[in-house]
Amino acid sequence: MATAAAVIARPIEPEQASLWSDAWRRLRKNRLALVATVYLILLVAVALVALVWTPYRMSAVGVAVTYAGPSAAHPLGVDELGRDILSRLMVGAQVSLVVGVGTQILVLVVGVPIGLLAGYYRGWFDTFISFVINVFYGIPDILVAMIMVFLLGPSLTNIIIAIVATRWMDMARLVRGQAMSLREREFVEAGRAAGARPFRMLFGHILPNALGPIIIQATLGIPAAILFEAFLSFLGVGVQPPTPSWGSMANEGVQAIQYAPHMVLFPSIALSLTLMAFNFLGDGLRDALDPRSRR
Amino acid sequence: MATPILQVRDLHTQFATDHGMVRAVDGVSFDLYPGESLGIVGESGSGKSVTALSILRLVPEPGRITSGEVLYRNNDLLKMSDEDVRDIRGKDIAMIFQDPQSSLNPVLKTGYQIEEAMLAHRQATGQQARDRTIELLRKVRIPAPERRVKDFPHQLSGGMRQRAMIAMGLANAPSILIADEPTTALDVTVQAQILELLGDLNHELGTAIIMITHNMGVVAGLCSRVIVMYAGQIVEQGPVDQIFEQPQHPYTWSLLKSIPRVDALRHERLRSIEGLAPDLLRPPSGCRFHPRCPFRLDKCFTDEPPLVEVKPDQQASCWVTMDRARQEMGADDLIDIRPGAASGVHPGKLI
Repeated sequence: MATAAAVIARPIEPEQASLWSDAWRRLRKNRLALVATVYLILLVAVALVALVWTPYRMSAVGVAVTYAGPSAAHPLGVDELGRDILSRLMVGAQVSLVVGVGTQILVLVVGVPIGLLAGYYRGWFDTFISFVINVFYGIPDILVAMIMVFLLGPSLTNIIIAIVATRWMDMARLVRGQAMSLREREFVEAGRAAGARPFRMLFGHILPNALGPIIIQATLGIPAAILFEAFLSFLGVGVQPPTPSWGSMANEGVQAIQYAPHMVLFPSIALSLTLMAFNFLGDGLRDALDPRSRR
Repeated sequence: MATPILQVRDLHTQFATDHGMVRAVDGVSFDLYPGESLGIVGESGSGKSVTALSILRLVPEPGRITSGEVLYRNNDLLKMSDEDVRDIRGKDIAMIFQDPQSSLNPVLKTGYQIEEAMLAHRQATGQQARDRTIELLRKVRIPAPERRVKDFPHQLSGGMRQRAMIAMGLANAPSILIADEPTTALDVTVQAQILELLGDLNHELGTAIIMITHNMGVVAGLCSRVIVMYAGQIVEQGPVDQIFEQPQHPYTWSLLKSIPRVDALRHERLRSIEGLAPDLLRPPSGCRFHPRCPFRLDKCFTDEPPLVEVKPDQQASCWVTMDRARQEMGADDLIDIRPGAASGVHPGKLI
């Protein structure tokens, strides 16, 4: 009796099924995206640990015989200067994450306002921005990045700036398209009729509606940026020694591929797994946030 | 009578299309008095919505207000800076739209959107706005407003969404509320509730209402005065009772005839208005209604009739007028469709 009364007395709370809780529910069902998320959390943890502790100092040379393969003391072996590869991979994770996430934050800061303004106001500003975007698409990105690194110097910040210079257009174009379609929606007209200022309209009403595609784009942009940095480092114009980057480590490994294959193998595996994880997460987010794939 | 709160004078709004200039609003003038409820009726494309949008300077591209005045408390909205007009929108003159589903931002909580209407005009601080939102939702008769404020628009029913929109419109206690077909997207029963709500708010708060609709029944239920628009112009205006009893423009008469009735005699066919609404790129010569008018004269083909006083307080633009059509041309009598008029199997009260 008492339990029945308790059941009846409980007010019926309708489920607060917002876009985000819906998306989270769908994302949790996606095994691959979940595994990728766990991997990325571990990667971030490893990168944070590497700030204070690594098995060996990443720049300590001669901790074992040069080119020595995996052993109990050095699970991933050592490189041509006798440096511990595991320690260097851990520090390299910092570089990759900083480059990947830092690039996308800057891309958001640059691309989102430009896209919003161009898409919402149209007119000459839109024409101008579309022209600039097409010009940037026309120039080979590796050329732009290499020239910028040569001019500014190969620091981590400059590498990030160089990657942003070649990657901001995707975000700007996506946001522009979103703003262009959203500005025709009735709630925008209703907002203007209510006396909302353009700033409030753009960032308070249009941006939240475009957030899904923006998050997907940013997530998928991270592995692209990491790969770009690894590529630049592989070519020798990226992060400079002694700071290890997965790309430069792979470059050193390639030169020794015939007698110390572990040197190229482990950085490449770390890079591949990380790229895959970000891509799976991005795909998972796309499925979760896309209203058309709603199940 | 008091001084009008809103005076529209010779308003012209045109759309530049690839095929030429469309005169969507072509010389519209009217007054709105404080606390009044005014209906603007017409078919699709008669210019009634564009008139409403022109008042707040919200005409979409490629439309342009080419001339005229919109005096709000004797200040011309058309001459104001963008900043000043933005201040008036939502604070002094609010507007609600046809489809509450698409007029609410789908990703923001309903309560927040109403609060925002106040915050945008610095009418309240955060906590005041939250309290007033609940009070407003209660006023528009949304049950359990404390919980509803946390709902997203898609969690509300259509009627509730429109109530929330009305609450948002009333947030800053505007002196004018423009309602652009607020009931068209709703169920018939919900329509009646929303109209009743608007009527009550009109009486309680003294908010003047401009009701844009194609439905004569809506006007009959809510408004005290009505403007009938055809092809971008006002063809008839006057008090609702007078217009419903003695419409003088054949278009108004046809509109009233074309309303389906449950109590029509079985042999009576529903009378639709012949022909199509005119092409505003090339409006007909003379009286714009002449191609569809059953009572036209030769003069109607060539000369444009002016809007003149046909009865006390009632103006119509017609060379014939229905009084003459009834006497000389055998026009039928009208059946009164106002609420409370005849119903059941009787043919209705003949006027």
